[in-house]
Amino acid sequence: MGFFKKKVNTKVQSTPPSQTKENTSPNGLKTSLQDNIQFVKDSLGSSTDIVIREIRIGKGGSVKAGIFYTDGLSDTPSLQNFIMESLMLDIKGTPLEKKLTPEQNLLTALKDFAMTVGEIKDLTNFDDLFTSLLSGDAILLIDGYSEGLVIGNKHWVERGVTEPTSQTVVRGPREGFSENLRVNTALVRRKLKDPSLWMESKVIGTRTKTNVAIMYIHGIADDKIVDEVRLRLDRIDIDGILESGNIEGLIEDSTYSPFPTVFNTERPDTVAAALLEGRIAILVDGTPFVLLVPALFVQFFQSPEDYYVHTGIGSLIRLLRFLAYLIALLAPALFIAITTFHQTMLPPALLISLTAQREGVPFPAFIEAVIMEITFEILREAGVRMPRSIGSAMSIVGAFVIGTAAVEAGIVSAAMVIVVSITAISSFVSPTYNLAISARILRFGFMALAASFGLYGIAVGMVALILHLCSLRSFGVPYMSPLAPFNVSDQKDTLIVAPIWKMFTRPRLTNQTNKVRQQNPASAKPQPPKNED
Amino acid sequence: MKKCIVTLLVLTLFLSGCWDRRELNELGIAMAIGIDKTENEYVISAQVVVPSEVSMKASTGRSAVTLYTATGETVYEAIRKMTKNAPRKMYPGHLQILVINEDLAKEGIAESLELLSRDWELRSDFYVVVAKDITATEVLNVTTPIENIPANKMFNSLKTSEKNWAGTEGVILDELVTNLISDGKEAVLTGIQVLGNKETGTSKQNVESITPSTRIEYDNLAVFKEDQLVGWLNEEESRGYSDITNTVKKTVTSITCPKEGKIIIDIFRYHSKIIGSINKGEPEVDIKIEAEGNIGEVLCSIDIMEPETIDKLEKIYEEEVKEIIHQTIESVQKQYQSDIFGFGEAIHRSNPKEWNEMKEHWDEKFSDLTVNVHIDMKIRRIGTVNNSFLKKIKD
Repeated sequence: MGFFKKKVNTKVQSTPPSQTKENTSPNGLKTSLQDNIQFVKDSLGSSTDIVIREIRIGKGGSVKAGIFYTDGLSDTPSLQNFIMESLMLDIKGTPLEKKLTPEQNLLTALKDFAMTVGEIKDLTNFDDLFTSLLSGDAILLIDGYSEGLVIGNKHWVERGVTEPTSQTVVRGPREGFSENLRVNTALVRRKLKDPSLWMESKVIGTRTKTNVAIMYIHGIADDKIVDEVRLRLDRIDIDGILESGNIEGLIEDSTYSPFPTVFNTERPDTVAAALLEGRIAILVDGTPFVLLVPALFVQFFQSPEDYYVHTGIGSLIRLLRFLAYLIALLAPALFIAITTFHQTMLPPALLISLTAQREGVPFPAFIEAVIMEITFEILREAGVRMPRSIGSAMSIVGAFVIGTAAVEAGIVSAAMVIVVSITAISSFVSPTYNLAISARILRFGFMALAASFGLYGIAVGMVALILHLCSLRSFGVPYMSPLAPFNVSDQKDTLIVAPIWKMFTRPRLTNQTNKVRQQNPASAKPQPPKNED
Repeated sequence: MKKCIVTLLVLTLFLSGCWDRRELNELGIAMAIGIDKTENEYVISAQVVVPSEVSMKASTGRSAVTLYTATGETVYEAIRKMTKNAPRKMYPGHLQILVINEDLAKEGIAESLELLSRDWELRSDFYVVVAKDITATEVLNVTTPIENIPANKMFNSLKTSEKNWAGTEGVILDELVTNLISDGKEAVLTGIQVLGNKETGTSKQNVESITPSTRIEYDNLAVFKEDQLVGWLNEEESRGYSDITNTVKKTVTSITCPKEGKIIIDIFRYHSKIIGSINKGEPEVDIKIEAEGNIGEVLCSIDIMEPETIDKLEKIYEEEVKEIIHQTIESVQKQYQSDIFGFGEAIHRSNPKEWNEMKEHWDEKFSDLTVNVHIDMKIRRIGTVNNSFLKKIKD
């Protein structure tokens, strides 16, 4: 019985929206204002945040009009100042008032002369009406017309432009994207005042109606890739997009690969740099994370700071990141392989010291490593999710449990704690969080291989991994380029960071239509003034 | 279904994996192995590390190593038999030193080395030495100061003495086997001795006094013919051997002053080369030596500020070293007829055709081989003082 009831309930809940869709889309707006108001009220279930204000305008109040807006999403003071006031008060006694009779084309007149706002659109059907209304715009409907006006009046409380939390730098701009799409596009525009910076908008999500913008520099970005992005975005048919991660999951090349093929960033300078390299940015309303495609493997090791600091330290740090990634991926596996299969590789003194530490440890090295790694993963996850106020207590317990107590209790050896700690620290070195995830996942696979086959297993695993990496594509661009396929000129920004005056061409993605960044490479190198005696 | 089968097949790979996996605490790390022989059985003794005693933190004051012995008809058998009284299987991968009994060496060492050169777990970079007047087991039973693990002491002191003193040879297994099978070069091994009371040397009390009552010390070189020990060189000859075979890295040599007393030369660069040739159908060998040294100690009344004196000293050094070398060669030629210097190899290199004819009876040829020695020695520095204050006291 209960089951039946439940089923009925869900059916009832789901029917009204689908009915409204069927009713409105073919019909469009009705002529009678009262009918329209009634319809809006019915469709939205008389939601209390929808404000419907009926006013009378024109000479002698001969025209009935209705203003619709969503409380909280619209700028109420400006609505009152610039729309209601101009319609109801300022217009009185002006020549315009005479024009406002039901006989004339009221809407055009209003639009042209009375609406003192910037963004205004015509409206003919209920679909658009609901989208605009629920996005925060105000709607003006006039009795007797099956058309209306959308008045751009969005305004809501939002987080300001703050420092990005996931990608921090020592030197570099401190601004980060926020949840507002318009603010985000503005942040990019501020960096690139180029008329060729083009932007396309899409609305994705049948119910969330999330605004998504594609940004690229026309003439630098490859048209084929832009088309591909458009195609993939258009293919999305889903009810809700809540974060750019949803889009990423729907457009990325290989979902099951642990490696990300779409780059994401919170930093406008990273986006601007990527656009200049011919990449395409996908901005999604409601999240500070902007997607960049195509994304290459080496890109995940590049921090914007690399280009802001001295080339020497930039290069060394870049190399350090690759090393740290390898450590995060392989350190526990190598430790297991060497201590259980290849003891001959250890110097005698080290072997004896490691053996001494292992005396009394009840588990094989592999189990020991898995215990420690899982403990650490739990600690990390708890550290991210738990309420801030518990943080310090957690870190004390964590450090104590992982570090001291486990060793003293003889459950794990001290050397294993060192290896796991090094691995953990190394996995945080990556400037992008989602590449570190791949190392986190694959590490366990490598540990299993090492425990079963020793170094041979690790070697086979590495070969398989490299094959996989080379088989990946990101929007048609080989994932491992410029390493495989190898490109000499792009090595300037791969393992090392060349001085900026040396990077006079853009990285080769697919097109090479506009590859020159610095017109005159010869004079780009800074030189002391010549002595002209 | 197909995917399922493939996955299962891949998973079975992991099952077969761990067959040769050994955790660290399953290893009995043998740092030194000694080989003795009774009537017809080998006695193998292995010095095995007790890891918890080596590390600073957990040590309880007991001995850092323990000795396991086992007997067997072959070396391999004996090593495996060791598990009867050892809790862990021997792991010889970090073997530092192999001690061979002198009596066994006189019978022949080839048989006992076969396993050690074949087994994959062994690295062939451990030293081989001969226990002189003592069994190998007794050598491995002595505790040593500074180095907790006696095997390390033996390894390191051979390494340092080979580098800074001539007269000992760190011969690793590979080198030894190469010399055993070579026609033109016979093997030598350094001797090892236990000085003092053998009984008290086995306990930890031995290292608790400043001067341990029992000590391990390297002795001179043992001469082999084929794989049999045929005799020992004395100290002078041992150093002569090092001089000839270019194994000197640094050493000190004392020479007599023109009048009386001694001067010690500190050799810091030394190079010797053996060149073979055929002279009137008879083989002949030239030894060319270049050496550079400093004056280390002046124990006589001499004016070393005079350039002529330096020249004179260089001459004296050349003469005296030449003398030692000749003596060494003569004694080996007379006593042992064993070409430990590799003169045969030198002839082989220079005159391969003639060598093929004479290699069958090389031992006789070696006994009356003519050897010419050419030495070029340079004194570079005289230290931080000019003439010795001894000179002033004596004057």
